[in-house]
Amino acid sequence: MPLIIKDEYPEKLFRDDGKRLDGRDKTELRPIKMEVGVVENADGSAYLEWGNNKIFAAVYGPREVHPHHLAKPDRGILRVFYRMTTYSVFERKRPAPGRREKEISMVIADCLEPLLFLELYPGTSFEVFIEVMDADGGTRCAATTVAALALADAGIPMKSLVTAVAVGKIDDELVVDLSGIEDKAGQADLPCAITWFNEELSLLQFDGDMNLKQMEEFLSLAKTALSEIYQIQLDALKKKYIEIQEEVSGGNS
Amino acid sequence: MSFKDEEQGIKDNNQEEEEEAVNTEDDSDPDEFEDEETTRNLVVPGEILTTDTKTFSPGRGTILTQDRSKIISLNIGLKQTKKNYINVIPLRGFYTPRPGDKVLALVTDKNPVKYRLDINSKEDAILKPKNTMKRGRETRGMRGGPPDRNTSNTDMFNIGDILIAKILSADRLNSPELTTVGKYLGKKNNGIVISIDPPKIPRVIGREGSMIKNLKNLTKSTIFVTQNGRIWLKAEDIAHERLLVDAIRKIEREAHTVGLTDRMVDYIENEKKKRGLK
Amino acid sequence: MMKIKRVISAIEKNYITQNLRKEERFDGRGLWEYRDISIKHDVIASAEGSADVSLGKTRIMTGLKYDVGVPFPDLPDEGVCTVMAELLPIASPLFERGPPDEQSIELARVVDRGIRHADCVQTKKLCIEANKAVYILFIDMYVLNYAGNLIDVGGISALTTLISAHVPEGKMEDGKLVWTGKYLDGEYLVNEMPLVLTYGKIDNVIFLDPSLPEELICDGKISISVTEDSITSIQKSGTATFSFDEINMLAKKTMEIGKKLRKDLNLWQYKVNYK
Repeated sequence: MPLIIKDEYPEKLFRDDGKRLDGRDKTELRPIKMEVGVVENADGSAYLEWGNNKIFAAVYGPREVHPHHLAKPDRGILRVFYRMTTYSVFERKRPAPGRREKEISMVIADCLEPLLFLELYPGTSFEVFIEVMDADGGTRCAATTVAALALADAGIPMKSLVTAVAVGKIDDELVVDLSGIEDKAGQADLPCAITWFNEELSLLQFDGDMNLKQMEEFLSLAKTALSEIYQIQLDALKKKYIEIQEEVSGGNS
Repeated sequence: MSFKDEEQGIKDNNQEEEEEAVNTEDDSDPDEFEDEETTRNLVVPGEILTTDTKTFSPGRGTILTQDRSKIISLNIGLKQTKKNYINVIPLRGFYTPRPGDKVLALVTDKNPVKYRLDINSKEDAILKPKNTMKRGRETRGMRGGPPDRNTSNTDMFNIGDILIAKILSADRLNSPELTTVGKYLGKKNNGIVISIDPPKIPRVIGREGSMIKNLKNLTKSTIFVTQNGRIWLKAEDIAHERLLVDAIRKIEREAHTVGLTDRMVDYIENEKKKRGLK
Repeated sequence: MMKIKRVISAIEKNYITQNLRKEERFDGRGLWEYRDISIKHDVIASAEGSADVSLGKTRIMTGLKYDVGVPFPDLPDEGVCTVMAELLPIASPLFERGPPDEQSIELARVVDRGIRHADCVQTKKLCIEANKAVYILFIDMYVLNYAGNLIDVGGISALTTLISAHVPEGKMEDGKLVWTGKYLDGEYLVNEMPLVLTYGKIDNVIFLDPSLPEELICDGKISISVTEDSITSIQKSGTATFSFDEINMLAKKTMEIGKKLRKDLNLWQYKVNYK
């Protein structure tokens, strides 16, 4: 029987000054940093740091499908593989993919698919590999956000980006962007993602309990947060090119 | 389209016999990055290009939203307005084969009836032995007899060979088919091949081949650029080849900026001095 | 160079081979030079030690996790230190998903042997109480981008991970494990500094740190682990054969280059002080 220090849940998730344990206000996001083109070999890639979450996403495709029987004659397929490293969590995770990883892969694939024109690429596959190097709550949202960036970086025609965030309830208060500990010790968790071309929800899960009024509140909180993250995504996608433009014009004048 | 290819080829050939042809894109403007009407506006997928859908129509890399209220971009790229079309010139993307394109292809497999070649596209291309030989008298059998052995086997090329081939047919459902019969087509026996982002190939060619001419002259090299994002090159020594590859990488990196051709000339001249090359 | 494919083109193979004979490599390196190495340490908050190491475009991220378990009956006062490697499908179109393949097992095994036989981690120090509780350390390597020579990067990243370690210190009190609030750091855990150096061989030319195209076309490779003053493990792979003279020459070279590399990398700067 292994003996391990348990990560203990605190009694209260708010400090005396009304801020959250990591010093944030209720609607404040954790610091987010994104970058594209981080994996040389991939057709498209992106890296994201969202609080303590550190996630890589890489896209390969369109390419021939392995195993071949999965290929569809009339359309391409999108496959998403969300994985966590053994050391990304408190207790060492087993190296083989678990049920949770498979479910999240599916949820993310369903979320991304409406963005693409898969019917244009029959018999091929697009593969999105998401690797969570360090996890601290909200990884499925962070993974969805970074996967969209990787797809855009690969130059795969897509209707828009997609952005995701989790809102939740801790100590009876509604908050945005749950951290790992808030996720575990909190009362409710609602991860959601928006596809910007139609501004509709493309990923939605919920665990906990809420009444109708709270539901409305939840969604409006999410919408504000999503716009904020979307801006970071856009900047990350353009940054690489703008920097080169500036470097070049600076050298000329 | 192919007429233009030939014309470019002949022009180059007159200058120097060994010079390789430039495979210009069959669009009317090979270097649309330098187009005056191309704004330096970077756009990303989903970005609204215009809400004036009465005046403008969606062109390449764009789509009209379902409610027909706006035109949005499908790619990360540069916004370009041509007449009343709005296009997005992509900065990233993959190669889609089109009939008539010349491609640098790698033989990855063969059996007695066909070769399979990697052309940096979503699927391998097929090359049949009959498309590797000129149909001349010598290959035809005697008096309508069975064709010569040479036309019906795959002894000509080996796995690992690099070929310059032309795409005969390509569509969404079937594997593209190639031919190696034609001017400048066939096997490469030396030099090296490098890959760049296929959408940036027009920049390596430059307007009317200006960029590639500079590259060739300044590094004393032969270059063959193909639409599938591959460049074959050979210079007098590895130092010149290194410089040439560095220059191409710089073009790839700065593809979305203005004044690239002039800058590249300065770059190569400076680097030659720095590296002590003639 | 061309984007990676399963088949390397014949002209690329010729090009590399001919230039190697003239002691020229496309990236401008000499035969006994490494590509640029960059190291970041303690990058993973959830791990008890971690490193992000790049060698040219090859990149590996490694993390340390621990567990406390009952020791093996035949080694009642020794802990365990294991190394695992995964070639993520992110890292190359040549890598596939699924259970570890030969290449990842070889990577883990060679790095593991480099550490084990150098007495880098003294397993007796991992004992909390004999017969009752010992530490099990897991060094897990994940390849993020594959551009040749995973083994050397793996070796540096595993060692840096151990040096940046901060494993909670436990002791047994009345048969129960309690945490002292202190940490076992790199200085406690790391006893020797093994480095593994890999050479490729094409025809009769031997060269250090094969890049990806060099690795894909080479006849064989040899990886030699060394500490400051001894050779601790050797792994030959591929179909190439090495003469006795070549092996002697390589052993000497490895000691020399290893000494310099150890000094240049100065891995002790990555030690982490917790409390």
